[in-house]
Amino acid sequence: MHCWIKDKGLIMTKSYWLLPALLMFATLAPSLAAKEELVTLPKRDTVQLTIYNSVDLTLVRETRSLTFKKGNNRLQFSWAGTLIDPTSVDFKPVNNAEKLDVLDTSYPAESNQMLIWTIAADNDVSAMVEISYFTSGISWSAEYHGMLATDDSSMTLTAYVTVQNNSGEEYEDAKVRLVVGSINLVEEIAGLAGGQRAARMEEAYGKMRNAAKSADASDRKKDIVKEGLSEYYIYSVGGTETIPNNWAKRLESFVQVGVPVKSVYTWDAPKYGAQLCRILTFKNDEAHKLGKEPLPSGVVRFYRDAGGNRLGYVGAIATGYIAKNDEVKVNAGVDPEVTIKMTRTSLKKENLSFAFNGRNQYLQGWDTYETFKLEMTNFRDRAVDFEINLALNGDFDFESELASTKIDFRTQRYVLKLDKGAKQEVVYKVRTRFGTNAKK
Amino acid sequence: MNKRLLLTLAFAAGVGSMIGILNPNPVEARIKLATLPDREAVVVRFDNPNVVMVEEERTISLQKGVNNVDFSWAGTNIDKGSIIFRPADPAAKVEILSTSYPPGEAALTWQIAATEPASIKFRLSYLMANIQRETDYRMLVSKDEQTCTFKHYFKIRNWSGGRFATADFVTRDGKKFEKGLENGEAKRVMVNSWDKVKLTKEYVYDITRNYEGKVMTDYVLKNAKDIGLGAIPLEYGKVRIYQDDGNGTTAFTGEDWGRFTPIGDDMRLNIGIAQDIKIEMKKMTNDVQNRRGNVYDTDEVDEYEIKNFKDNESVVTLVLRVDGEWEMKNDSANFESFERIDNETIKFKVKAPAKGTPIKLKFHYQRKNVW
Amino acid sequence: MRTTLAILILVLASAPLCAKEELVTLPQRDSVQLTIYNSADLTLVRERRTLSFKAGDNRLQFSWANTLIDPTSVDFQAVGEAARAALDVADTSYPAESHEMLIWTIRAKSAGSHVVEISYFTSGISWGAEYTGMVNTSEDVMHLTGFVTVTNNSGEDYEDASVRLVVGTIHMVERIVDLAQPKSREKIPPTEAPDMDELRKMERQFPAEKGAGGGAGGMVRRKDIEKGTLSEYYIYAVEGQETIPTGWSKRLQSFSIAGVPLKTVYRLEPAKFGPSFTKVLEFKNDEEHKLGKEPLPDGLIRLYRDQGQGRLGFMGALASKYIPKKEEVKINVGPDAECTLAIKRISLKKKDLGFRNNWLVGWTMVEEFEMEVKNFRSRAVDIEIHRTMQGDFDFESAEKFEIHDATTRKVVFTLDANASRKLRYTVTTRQGENARK
Repeated sequence: MHCWIKDKGLIMTKSYWLLPALLMFATLAPSLAAKEELVTLPKRDTVQLTIYNSVDLTLVRETRSLTFKKGNNRLQFSWAGTLIDPTSVDFKPVNNAEKLDVLDTSYPAESNQMLIWTIAADNDVSAMVEISYFTSGISWSAEYHGMLATDDSSMTLTAYVTVQNNSGEEYEDAKVRLVVGSINLVEEIAGLAGGQRAARMEEAYGKMRNAAKSADASDRKKDIVKEGLSEYYIYSVGGTETIPNNWAKRLESFVQVGVPVKSVYTWDAPKYGAQLCRILTFKNDEAHKLGKEPLPSGVVRFYRDAGGNRLGYVGAIATGYIAKNDEVKVNAGVDPEVTIKMTRTSLKKENLSFAFNGRNQYLQGWDTYETFKLEMTNFRDRAVDFEINLALNGDFDFESELASTKIDFRTQRYVLKLDKGAKQEVVYKVRTRFGTNAKK
Repeated sequence: MNKRLLLTLAFAAGVGSMIGILNPNPVEARIKLATLPDREAVVVRFDNPNVVMVEEERTISLQKGVNNVDFSWAGTNIDKGSIIFRPADPAAKVEILSTSYPPGEAALTWQIAATEPASIKFRLSYLMANIQRETDYRMLVSKDEQTCTFKHYFKIRNWSGGRFATADFVTRDGKKFEKGLENGEAKRVMVNSWDKVKLTKEYVYDITRNYEGKVMTDYVLKNAKDIGLGAIPLEYGKVRIYQDDGNGTTAFTGEDWGRFTPIGDDMRLNIGIAQDIKIEMKKMTNDVQNRRGNVYDTDEVDEYEIKNFKDNESVVTLVLRVDGEWEMKNDSANFESFERIDNETIKFKVKAPAKGTPIKLKFHYQRKNVW
Repeated sequence: MRTTLAILILVLASAPLCAKEELVTLPQRDSVQLTIYNSADLTLVRERRTLSFKAGDNRLQFSWANTLIDPTSVDFQAVGEAARAALDVADTSYPAESHEMLIWTIRAKSAGSHVVEISYFTSGISWGAEYTGMVNTSEDVMHLTGFVTVTNNSGEDYEDASVRLVVGTIHMVERIVDLAQPKSREKIPPTEAPDMDELRKMERQFPAEKGAGGGAGGMVRRKDIEKGTLSEYYIYAVEGQETIPTGWSKRLQSFSIAGVPLKTVYRLEPAKFGPSFTKVLEFKNDEEHKLGKEPLPDGLIRLYRDQGQGRLGFMGALASKYIPKKEEVKINVGPDAECTLAIKRISLKKKDLGFRNNWLVGWTMVEEFEMEVKNFRSRAVDIEIHRTMQGDFDFESAEKFEIHDATTRKVVFTLDANASRKLRYTVTTRQGENARK
């Protein structure tokens, strides 16, 4: 009855790298003193990896052809040394399903890294079966390269996906699918996989950092098919991939030339600090030759064509998920050729009101009247767009010669365009009520 | 108590179903029972959410007069006060006179009086510690997200110290399955599977559920006959959700804890973030009004901009909250259709047009008597 | 461990100065009676022996090494008119060499055999009640069985003892187990605690047990447990004799009553049942419920539900307090997800704001609440909900709320199968200087 314990060493050597291992017991006699015969199983026919990027989770689905004998068959699945979540392991016949019935799943006391399915077959039958489970340690991420044209008006956008395998297992000839989206997970798969997990991940991440550096591009490009599923997108990599343990592999997801890009010189202190930043904007839509799929979160690196097939580095930003038709804004930093200067040109205090505290009089309310001047200069040889956001505090009145837009209760925005070499001044006045003068 | 004797008996009892050791004294019969295998018709019940009850049958040969029957449960954890021992046939002519508990032993002795020599079937019930149970579900959602297959699994782990050569395990909702269970072993069994269960998908924006202002995707299952469920109250348990990907396989699309759902109630499962719907809030007005000493009112306008980047129009449920005394102004969007769930909370549904066309919602309210 | 208690008669063999005592082993006790209290760790042991006395002074030694006997409680009495007339306790001596022994000097008028009773208090023997309620499938009738379990950890075996159990809380000024400790003996004068005597006297009034259970129709019957009152207490007398060796406990059935009507009420009553809406099974210890013949001593009640074919399912257990006759018994079996209550505040308004020196000093809050009870069960259920308010409040509702006490309102109703009901009420609370209380 406990013969698998005895034979375990044998099994392990036969499939020394191939963890988890699958074994079948054929019950020879239905008597109480049942003797079980161990049947070594063929290698997996196919392996499919569905890798998530929002959580440390990969769904592995493997198929094998098995022969079942009439009656109850016991199928052992063990996963010592891996990061498999035991609660996720599932068995499903792909064909001849009507002849097979999973009676129960037993988790023996002797091992917490093994389970045994009892499968009833109504006759001797061969069937393709699928075994699926969750593992942790395999992850994927997206990266983008934007090659800006010399005049910054367009770019060539290349997207990559990189798969990293630190699961402790090598996956050979696996079909790889990547899931874009944030699924809800109520327990970490890593936690469910068992205690040794934390230390292993620590080590694995160390190796991964090194492996990521040596990530190589494939010699032939593979198609990545993108499909929507519920709230997610699934990227299916064409063909199969072999990803040894601790390796990372980067694949090109798409290349798009001539994506129009807009530069807006933006002043927005809460977002970008008190400086004028060049914000590169494009949209993930058809007008921008994109919009076929959302762009998963990842690092976008911008380079500019410096002429003579040389590149200049513009900047990089980690973006969140970009839905179809959504806008992307990338901060390309400060440009010394486009400047802004703000000065306060006057300050007056008025409407002072006083109160008495015994015989002492003290100030309890006042208004300030301030005038500010913004000076913008474009030293570039082409027209540029400006967006100036002014965030004000307290109980204020805002007054401006140039029309502005109210963004929220405290923010005013100017949008303007300066021709090449042009200069513009904007003057605005702010009255602020303080102390008992304030209504707010 | 002679433990060696007990074990010997236990072994012997595994072969025959009846046990009985007769004392030479014709009146005082002494019979020993042990928890180990010699039991019949064992039932393990999970009616109580915290405690497991084991019920078994024992056939005992009784002599005329007073019989002493020993029962021991060394190595297992049985609540001895919970032991109920009774003839299976209430009309049987036997009477249990007393129960004695020897010092320092997991054992007891019943004094049973019989009017005539007979083999009597007794039923023995007791609460047993360290048998764990767990419910989980698998949901396989159709490609169009209209229906699902809902599978209900029950998992038992036996740490009790005893083994069940074979027993009927009965879940709280009365589902019975027969299995053997070794000490230390766990078994997971599919107890129910419902096909073509209708489900509802909802997009919910509720700041108390997700502080980053994300829109969540929920599946709602009503535990009712008309949607394909409603057979039993659904126990609390983890629900793992898979979806048919249209290519012959499935993808895992999330999991959530399903709360205990009585018949007629809803089970709401969050599968993840609806990443293609974005909601941004801006405060457009934030004025103080009607100041009286340290008390004032406020006039506030929050503007919600909703962008649905999907290819189809979607309905989003917004759940908004304001603390204290407040009222909504009737120039708010959806003023006619909002539902005030409680003093602090309003809820309404918004149709968000496809492909990122933004819509703006004005939420205008006055807070009153703030200090 | 048996017979650590020894009684010896010391026969003076020679002159008192160089006294050599001859030990005479005494016959076994003729009878022993245990009166066991459950409120205190106290048992009154009364044993009778037939002793031969010679004329003159007889020295009777009583020793109790390794037991938990209170030395101050040991008492000697002659039984019967003749014995009382013939015997006289001249003195009681506690020898210096042993803390676990005393010697009575009994003066006999003439030589002869007499029955004497030695009584004492011991600790280490206890009894407890337990109940098993078998509830039918529809949860409206229960078969209630009461058990008493006697546990002997006194260090002494009691063979063929008649057992009586006292239900009720007696007053004790010192713990017997402390009195039994030789270490603390110096502090304690060798006299009885004052109310022990009272207790002993009182207890004697109770009729002695009936004869041993006879075999009706050749069948050995289960023993009856006779219940009677004694002052503020109840005494349960176990029929016949029991042998309880030290370390052992023994459980006996006290009563078994089928067909006790049972009511299920879902209650929100934080003062009694905690903060959750909970399922409560109720019956009364009265004749209408086929009970009421005696109070029910405190003990664990375990409830099982009939699952058909004589199979049981465990519902829950509850430690019950002493239940006097006519008293209601409410067993909280915990929240039931199939009958739920949700309370929410649906509106809040502040009014009557009062200011002094431009500062808020008083206001009144008007809060409207809605509670919703949902019954997912396939049968009607009874509901009782209590709401407790604080401060200076007014409570208004169109529903039939009743005044429970100064701060609590309650509503009682029946909810049909698969039905739900919403009830609204308004609480107005005057705060700060608006409060009149």
